[in-house]
Amino acid sequence: MQFHPTPNGSRALIRLEGVCKSYSTASGPFAALKSVSFEVKAGEFVGITGKSGAGKTTLVNMITGTDQITSGEVWVGDVAVHRMSEDRRSRWRGRNIGVVYQSFHLMPSLSLIDNVMLPMDFCGQFRPRESRARAVELLREVELEQHALKLPSEISGGQQQRVAIARALANDPPVIIADEPTGRLDSVTAEVIFEIFAGLVRRGKTIVMVTHDQGLVERVDRVLQLRDGVLDAA
Amino acid sequence: MRPRWRKVLADLFGNPVRSLLVVASIMIGLVAVGMITILHRTVSDDLREGYQAVNPANIQVRSVPVDDDFIRHLTHLPGVQDAEGLRVFDLRIRSGAEQFKSIRIKAFADIQSAVIDRVRLVEGRWPPGEKEIALEANRMVDVKYRVGDLVEIKLANGTLRSLRLVGIVNDQTIGSDGGGAGFFLAPIQGYITRGTLEYLGQPDEMTGVHLTVSEGQNDLAHIQAVADRVLQEFERDGVATSGVVVRRSTDHPNAPYIEAIKAVLYLLSFLVLFLSGFLIINTLSALLNQQIEQIGVMKTFGATRFAVIGIYLALVLVFSLLGLVLAIPLANLVAYYELGDIAPTLNFIARGARLVPESLVIQVVIAFLVPQAAALYPVLRGTGLPIQRALSGAGSSAEMEMDRLTLWLSRLKGSSRPMAISLRNTFRQRVRLALTLLTLALGGAIFIGTFNMRASLESFISRLGNYFIADIIVTLNEPYRVGEIQAALKRLPEVETVEGWATASGQIVLPDGQAGETVLIQGPPDGSVLVKPIMLKGRWILPGDRHAVALNEYFLTRFPDVDIGDTIKLKIGGKESEWTVVGFFQFAGKNIGLMAYTNYDSLSRETHTYGKSVDIRATSTRKGLSLAEQEAMSLRVEAYLTGLGYKVKESRAGQTIRGRTTGGLDALTNFLLFLSMLMASVGSIGLMGTMSLNVLERTREIGVMRAIGASDREIFRIVLAEGILIGLISWAISLAAAFPVSAGLARAIGSSIFGTPLPFQYVLTGPAIWSGVILLFSFVASFLPARSAVRMTIREILAYE
Ligand SMILES: Nc1ncnc2c1ncn2[C@@H]1O[C@H](COP(=O)(O)OP(=O)(O)O)[C@@H](O)[C@H]1O
Ligand SMILES: [Mg+2]
Repeated sequence: MQFHPTPNGSRALIRLEGVCKSYSTASGPFAALKSVSFEVKAGEFVGITGKSGAGKTTLVNMITGTDQITSGEVWVGDVAVHRMSEDRRSRWRGRNIGVVYQSFHLMPSLSLIDNVMLPMDFCGQFRPRESRARAVELLREVELEQHALKLPSEISGGQQQRVAIARALANDPPVIIADEPTGRLDSVTAEVIFEIFAGLVRRGKTIVMVTHDQGLVERVDRVLQLRDGVLDAA
Repeated sequence: MRPRWRKVLADLFGNPVRSLLVVASIMIGLVAVGMITILHRTVSDDLREGYQAVNPANIQVRSVPVDDDFIRHLTHLPGVQDAEGLRVFDLRIRSGAEQFKSIRIKAFADIQSAVIDRVRLVEGRWPPGEKEIALEANRMVDVKYRVGDLVEIKLANGTLRSLRLVGIVNDQTIGSDGGGAGFFLAPIQGYITRGTLEYLGQPDEMTGVHLTVSEGQNDLAHIQAVADRVLQEFERDGVATSGVVVRRSTDHPNAPYIEAIKAVLYLLSFLVLFLSGFLIINTLSALLNQQIEQIGVMKTFGATRFAVIGIYLALVLVFSLLGLVLAIPLANLVAYYELGDIAPTLNFIARGARLVPESLVIQVVIAFLVPQAAALYPVLRGTGLPIQRALSGAGSSAEMEMDRLTLWLSRLKGSSRPMAISLRNTFRQRVRLALTLLTLALGGAIFIGTFNMRASLESFISRLGNYFIADIIVTLNEPYRVGEIQAALKRLPEVETVEGWATASGQIVLPDGQAGETVLIQGPPDGSVLVKPIMLKGRWILPGDRHAVALNEYFLTRFPDVDIGDTIKLKIGGKESEWTVVGFFQFAGKNIGLMAYTNYDSLSRETHTYGKSVDIRATSTRKGLSLAEQEAMSLRVEAYLTGLGYKVKESRAGQTIRGRTTGGLDALTNFLLFLSMLMASVGSIGLMGTMSLNVLERTREIGVMRAIGASDREIFRIVLAEGILIGLISWAISLAAAFPVSAGLARAIGSSIFGTPLPFQYVLTGPAIWSGVILLFSFVASFLPARSAVRMTIREILAYE
């Protein structure tokens, strides 16, 4: 899908406006995000930090649309994420947003290459033969093509996260959203992952990455600080 | 192949144990339903068609001697196909050194060309020639003759005659001349040619004619019409008849028992369907619970709900197909094994394995509907969860909730910590637990119900004892003076009471004047102490009653219009007489046929034997003799009477008839036990599935327990205790569930065999045995999961995710 300029003429690719999210808990509703607004330009590498429980995961879930918003608007390109039905959002996300989780979330029963091919299968942008070649290529980019037929349980955590990145790139989405992708990895491995992201930004991808790692925070284009569901003024 | 289908295959083969459990639970239900359908069809087909193949008589007439020309004349009557003369008489056959048993011998007018009531040669040759005999296979165990032996027959006058045993045959028509119990009450059967009659002291005369109709063999009204024509001929020729039976060519004498089996099968097929449905829901929802996180992942990467539903329904479809492929041959194997088992006990011939299309259709339909339907709820639930909840494993958060009952249970005083953990585990997965319990409890209820049904049968049949209070019943060859015999027997110190009864076999005279079904008429003397009737309605015969009859309950169903105070006509010895109905008593329903009791005076006048009797009944001075003691006494009394010059036809124990009647029902009980064991194994497979899934789901928890120092033995004990606890709870439920199941069985079997529901009984044998069975099953079902829990290393547990 092509990204057109937003109607108001700004070059923002991701735009959140007054986003609120409250969870219902046993002790009543809990506001995890309190009117968050910000923009991310195409090609930007944005980091989100904050203490545990600050609402970082909740925030990126609003962008990916993997959770229901309470109020506010989320625009990605000219698409109103907050207005789509779950099914339409799934299909849209499959093509336009690559998601990387802290805990990898690979399909345990599928080989690495099948894991990478799965999003292509669901979104149908590539023909089966094409998608296999593409998956091999993506695995090569994360230097795992020699392990293509292994199961996730047969490789290390860092390798699993690289597969997860390859999977996020499967449908060649313009945006990558990563929630603490290095949270479970040692610092050397984390560096490898970060370098992959940096390379992607250089190739024009837009990346929003949640991270705790102070060293990494200093190397992104811009940092957003979350505190109790509210963005700190930068 | 597209990755999503590869995921289906990977899920299938990636966890073979789990897949096997799912396939097994689908298969077992399909096997049960398939087997029941096959049996249901083949049992009645084989019974009907097998019986038709022996060309059974549609009309059986008993009469005074008829000549061959008359029989030949009958074949020319319109509607008559064939008519064959025969002579049936009872003698005694040597069954031991000093022992003789009753034998019913059938002599064919023309054995070479006989086509009606064909027998099947089992061993030796057919037909027997002069001074030769063939014996029926079913009662061969009573005598120890082999083909080629000389069979000793004792004639009425005491003379011994030897016949060469040339063949052993199977005769499916045994019992076709009476009520349903005929086959089981029948004595040893022998077959001879006409030429042997004289040698056995019998006149060379036929006293009965068997006829087949040329068309409408299965139309009872038509057969009755032809029978009426035939009887008119008898009347016109002045040949007195003493009994007529009409039967369709498909009415195997043991059909009521098959009806009972079919009724039970109907009942069971419903239960089995429920059972396998539960089982499938159980295993599939557990499987899908484990997949919730993966569903969230797929949706994250672009899968629509529809696509995800497709993946899981495809998986279920593969499970169904595998289950079906295994179930079809297995169902056939079990069904034909069981058919081969029932057939001889009910005296029909199983025609062996063949394809029963409807069983295939039912299996296919169920295989494609039930698992999919069972999967639908968990699939819809799993795919309907918001992605974030799915990713965090929504199933497990629900698992952690504990209600007050569980908390209370886990704090039960005196329960050890591992015990508390298994209690908590057991009650955590509420729905799965409920389904497992239901499966096991249903199996148990049927098992217990089987024993209760047997007890109901026995209690019902033991009522027959009220009509056979005498310890011995002596049948004489000809009427003797009752007073004389009484005096003779009273001289024996072991004899207490002696009564001479009048007996006759009559026919009920229908409103149109035709003689109908045979009625067994008994005439105990006034004030008899050897019968204690169970009255349903009205009263029993009182001293001084004249031509009063009490009728058995079968009259109520056969002739609903007849009531107390009405007059019925009975034809006894060729003469019609009128009788006033005073009451109805409970006997063995349609199984024995129509029965009437009157008093000795009234009946003996009809049979012209006033003051005499052929039916002498006596009791011992000792009370409560066993069957063996009664038999011994009957032998002594017979020897004594024979020594005095009386001609004894047969002397038997009072309990004989009860034993024989029960014998026929053993086939049924065994069949039910077999079915309930089948149900129990379905239940234990379900339990095994539940246990393994519980262990699988708690891999992490087991890991934590081991990490904090739980020993192998403790973990093993926790898993085992959980399984056994489930088993015990199901046992308790099955005790209660057995009530409706037993009542249903008693009703189904009672109405098909006796035409009346059996009395409800609840005996403790079933619960006692079942408690052992369930303990064993739950031990076995949780042993493997317990072992695999112990074998998991911490590394594996952490890798599991
Ligand atoms: N499903 C949920 N239900 C209730 N509360 C939640 C849920 N998810 C997150 N929260 C709460 O919302 C707040 C923000 O959570 P989260 O976005 O996960 O924080 P972070 O990712 O910054 O650690 C936390 O206080 C957390 O407890
Ligand atoms: Mg977080």
